[in-house]
Parts: sequence; structure tokens; C-alpha cells
Amino acid sequence: MLPAFDYIAAMMRLSGFLLLSLVMASVHAASVVEQKNPDSGLSRWHTEGQEFSLELIQLIPDFVRAVFDSKGLPPEIIDSVSSYCVFGTIVRNRADVPLSYNIADWRYVTADGIEHVGKLKSEWVSEWREMGVAFRWTLLPEAQTWQVGDWGQGFTTVNLPHGTPFDLHYSWTRGDQIHHATIEGLRCAPEQLEK
Amino acid sequence: MRRNNWKSKLLAGAMLLFAMALFAADEPELSITLNRLDPPLPAPEFTLNDMDGKPHRLRDYRGKVILINFWATWCPPCRKEMPSLERVYQQFKDRPFMVLALNQWESEDHVFSYMGDLNVFPEFPILFDPESKVSEDYGVRGLPTSFIIDAEGRLIYKAVGGREFDHPDVLALIRELLAPTSKP
Repeated sequence: MLPAFDYIAAMMRLSGFLLLSLVMASVHAASVVEQKNPDSGLSRWHTEGQEFSLELIQLIPDFVRAVFDSKGLPPEIIDSVSSYCVFGTIVRNRADVPLSYNIADWRYVTADGIEHVGKLKSEWVSEWREMGVAFRWTLLPEAQTWQVGDWGQGFTTVNLPHGTPFDLHYSWTRGDQIHHATIEGLRCAPEQLEK
Repeated sequence: MRRNNWKSKLLAGAMLLFAMALFAADEPELSITLNRLDPPLPAPEFTLNDMDGKPHRLRDYRGKVILINFWATWCPPCRKEMPSLERVYQQFKDRPFMVLALNQWESEDHVFSYMGDLNVFPEFPILFDPESKVSEDYGVRGLPTSFIIDAEGRLIYKAVGGREFDHPDVLALIRELLAPTSKP
């Protein structure tokens, strides 16, 4: 289901990190903390102790609608984005060297083993441009090189039903080395807040 | 009908505030590093209006060190770093130094309302880049992004993400650029 990750995991079991370093890649079991907002019932997850830190915050469709509506965007755009599984996403370079990420390489793996690719900012912006809308903010840029101390915050989207559980396999690059990590047990926000 | 429209706008506004609070809560701390651009690049020229409709041309500030900040009110780290922009402006306003905050894609009324909610109303110019054309010229891909321009009109430092602009490390960089013998 995830050949690249299975391959790397098998390499780790067989040969340890020495051989792993030869293929210039490493796998991290992300240390993740989940916090539940007592008022909204929504969850946020953040990694701890990694040079590339990642935080994901559940956003229900009404929140997404409100944010895009406040920009004066047309209803087609608002309905389209809010139909997706949306996370407020914060990424940060905590290393003392530049780091890069590319969300196109990340995979959302659902319980049936299917890998899903997120819908990228460039894809949304391209659709909006065809509709005559030049708006290009709010969404997290899909690929960036962060210098020391740089960080960013924005929406990430994947075409999954609200409430869907999944594991996120993500990666970043430090120099020539690609690092992989997984956050298990994530969930898309529900359709509405629990009463 | 009009009442329903008013109510739905109020509800949407409340939802927006809730969403922003949720997204902003426990946000990462502001960084304190600015990254040197090597080699320095010429700062793209622009003319943008402030809240009073007065045009500001970048070239009119030539000879000053300029901190340019691309921002929007809906962006939590932009909101968080704004007070530190005012503090650094106050610290150096009697020197050849200027802060220009370029708002992205928002109306003057909306921004004015937001400014009214701040503890201190910024004294530096808030400029409007309504179609984000200037941010495109500067290669800005996410908000906030800031640059420092030296007295010769060159982009010399860049910061992506929120910063604590009056942190001693940042102030030291600005002082260095303001020094008469500065040759970056």
C-alpha cells in the first residue's frame, strides 16, 4: 500500500540506520500530541522534538466558509473549498539549517489502505484564476524552502469526506537528505460541531 | 429579507471570529531571525495608497532603511507581530528608518476597523496592495513575509513567518544598517 515506506521500514529492520543513511533517507516516528478544544470539540495535533515541526488543526466547513466569505469570494469557490477536508496547518523550521517541504509528496492514507494526495494551493489558485479571481492567500504554499526560523500557517486540503480517519505520511528535505515521518490517527473535522 | 441577510452576516462574522481564534490558539512563538539575502537584490518599485488615499512611492524613501511587511488581518501571525512593528518604528522613527505594512486583498474599512481593536494604533503607513501585485513582484508566497531594504534600495534581509521585530537580535541588525559606515 505504501511501497516506499514499506521499503524503508524493511531496510531499517534489516540493516539499521547505517545502511539507511546510504540511501540518503530517514524515517521518523513522529512524537505527536493531540489536544481537544473543550469548547468546539475539535482536535489539533502537533509534533514534538522534530526539526521540521507540523501542526494540524481540524476546521469544520462553516469555519472555512466564513473565512473565504470574508474575502468576498464567489459562492462557487466557498462551496468547493468547504466541501473538502480542511486543516489549519502550521509548519516551522526548527533546525539551524534550511529545510524544504513539498506537500505534493505527502500522502493521506485511509483505513482501506488507499493513498490520497492533497489538493495543492497551485491547483486551487489555477481554478480560481480561470474563474477570473486573482485571490491566492489563506492556503499553505505547497512547496517552500524555509531558512532558519522561517515558518508558515495556512489551510491544507484533501478530498476526503468530513470525519474520515487517516494517517499522514509526510516528508521534508535537509540538504540532500529526505526525511519521512508519519502521524497516525488523524481525522478530518466533522460536518458540524458536536452539540 | 433584509433582516435575514443581516442575521446571516452577523452569524458568519461570529463564525469567522471563532475560526480565527481556533486557528490562532497556541500558535507557535514568533521567530527572531532575519535571513540575509546574498547577493542583495534591487527592491521592486511600487506606488500604493495609504488609508487616506495618499500615494506612497518606494523611491521616495530612498536613503532610509525600510522594513516592508506583507500582511492581512485574517492571518494570525500577522496580527501577533503587528505590535512589535510599531515598537520598532517608535524606536527608530527619528533615524532614517521607515516601516511600510502592505495589506493584501482587504478593504480600507476592514483594516481601519481592525486597527481600532489594537492597543496602539500604528503610526507607520499602512498601504493597500488590493490585487497582491506588489507581493507578486517581491515573490511573496505566504503571509506574513517581511523584508529589510537598505539605504541603497536593496533587499538585504527576508523573513517568512511572524517575527518579534523588537527583539534585541533584530534591533542589532537594523542598527548596523543605520550606522553611517554600514557597508553590507
